[in-house]
Amino acid sequence: MNKSRITGTKFYKESQLLEPVARFAKRKGFCLQKVELPFYEYRIDLYAFSRKNNATVAIELKLNDWRRALKQSLLYQLCADLVYIAMPESSVKRVVRAELQRNGVGLIAVLESGGCSCVLQAKEHAEVRQFYRLSQIEYLKGVASA
Amino acid sequence: MPETTPNVILRMGSHSEKEYIEKTLKQFDGIMVGANLLQISPGATASLLLKLHNASGRPYYLDPMTYAFGAYFDPESGKVRVDLDWIKSNQKVPGGKKGETVRKFKGSYRKLADSFGPPFSSALDAGKAVSYSDFSTDQIVDDACKSVISFQAERLRKVFSDDPETARFANDLPGPAALFAPYFYVERSRSKQWIELNHRLALSSTKQRKDIPIHVVVCCHLDLLGDPDLSAQVVGNLLACKPAGVWLWFSRFDERLASKEELSALRWWVEKLSPSMSVFNMHGGFFSLALSKFGMTGAAHGVGYGEQKDVVPVIGQSTPTVQYYVRALHAKYSVALITRCFSKLGVKGPADFFSKICDCPICKRIVGDDFNAFAQFGEIHYSTPMSRRAAQTPAAAKRCRYHFLLNRIIERDHVEKSAVADIAKECVVAAGTWSKTLIGSGAEYLRLWAEVLSADH
Repeated sequence: MNKSRITGTKFYKESQLLEPVARFAKRKGFCLQKVELPFYEYRIDLYAFSRKNNATVAIELKLNDWRRALKQSLLYQLCADLVYIAMPESSVKRVVRAELQRNGVGLIAVLESGGCSCVLQAKEHAEVRQFYRLSQIEYLKGVASA
Repeated sequence: MPETTPNVILRMGSHSEKEYIEKTLKQFDGIMVGANLLQISPGATASLLLKLHNASGRPYYLDPMTYAFGAYFDPESGKVRVDLDWIKSNQKVPGGKKGETVRKFKGSYRKLADSFGPPFSSALDAGKAVSYSDFSTDQIVDDACKSVISFQAERLRKVFSDDPETARFANDLPGPAALFAPYFYVERSRSKQWIELNHRLALSSTKQRKDIPIHVVVCCHLDLLGDPDLSAQVVGNLLACKPAGVWLWFSRFDERLASKEELSALRWWVEKLSPSMSVFNMHGGFFSLALSKFGMTGAAHGVGYGEQKDVVPVIGQSTPTVQYYVRALHAKYSVALITRCFSKLGVKGPADFFSKICDCPICKRIVGDDFNAFAQFGEIHYSTPMSRRAAQTPAAAKRCRYHFLLNRIIERDHVEKSAVADIAKECVVAAGTWSKTLIGSGAEYLRLWAEVLSADH
């Protein structure tokens, strides 16, 4: 199996992280999902809603650049109760977790096996704006029923 | 140090912007139109300028855009380009197959070159950029200056007089506020030759017309700002030539990205030249307006910002989102980012928003008593059912542009009535306030501005 020079794993593009992360989110109850959900000029890699917990999650996929991922994640806090960065396991080691923790952003390691492991729990935060959150939930529901 | 009243000249890039200009020009200080726009839509442009003049009484300028016919140093390839590809477009082949195109000179530039005559027209005929060596004799320089200047002075009148229906308006529109000497981009590899040619063009132009002020454009690479010898040479040339005005255009110079040295150099240029002539920044923003305290007469920019411009525009990018202008930062940011800053700034509702972010009439109308309505500045949609990416709605872009234009008027008036020390202090305070937000060190340019504005030269 070829390994990416950037990540040292089989993951060489962000989209490869999507499937394992989406499966992982589903297992956690976030069944209503949308890939690349528009949020202003950004696109959230994975946005999902858990009816059971009435909670939303935004997940930013990144191969390597966790600082850039954090910047985007902080914006996504406006519309999601929980925000995670998902990276290949090898890249996770380089993340300064305290910085994520301070901002309430969680971290998911995507394993070579195709599984995922939550290495840092996201915290609910005060930045979420119901106006955005509810708009996104409505959008998800609309997409699901279409 | 001749402190002046700052002026803002609006630059119209296309007729799609006329609504903004019609509604706001009265509050600005003039309008600039590229000669290429006049050539592609002479009737519409002439009528608009007459209408604007009648409604606002504001002066107008016609940028002859001669630099577009010259060589360009491509920073991507590190080579000088003379292929003129930047003024070409893919055009339908008449009678050709569906979708068949050919890359040809844009009609606007072809017509402009033909109006100017040689060496502009001959360069296009040969498919190669005008070179300094094309101006081998003083006669060629004089002829080129005469045609470029006459174009600016006479073209609009001719547009009216050529059409029997509009001929009676031919003398209603006064001439431009100033006439520009032909100018070329000073590319790095041949800077001395291009500087010399531009000087000859400036000298010839200033000798030719005394009835209307002659202005000169210094169009050069950003590196020139950091080169004291070349800067001194160009400034020396300008002082020897003594045009009524000079417009500075350092390609890729961005007030917010510039180093302290570059900002200081710009101030130096202004201080050296302003005792002898009006100094404008061809594409400038708030910092340029603040330089009015050191003699800068004004700055030009478009209705959707355009406060910096590369000589050769990047072609093929998607339409950029028009972001929200934050007056305290004198810069534009995404609506999402600004919204995310609200909590740290203590903006909890409309009243906070109006006192801490903006209380311009556009914001008052949009936000009103619904704080969430601020999102309307960043509203997105799928413009067609086939669109793969959501894009800003035209209505949101319009709100951002009007908000920017109104803020620019507020900024200009504020600069006029403020002392330079107060402007510098406000910059430092804003950098400090916003450093606590997600913008963080992104507003550090304000400290540089403050340092440069406060420095004793």
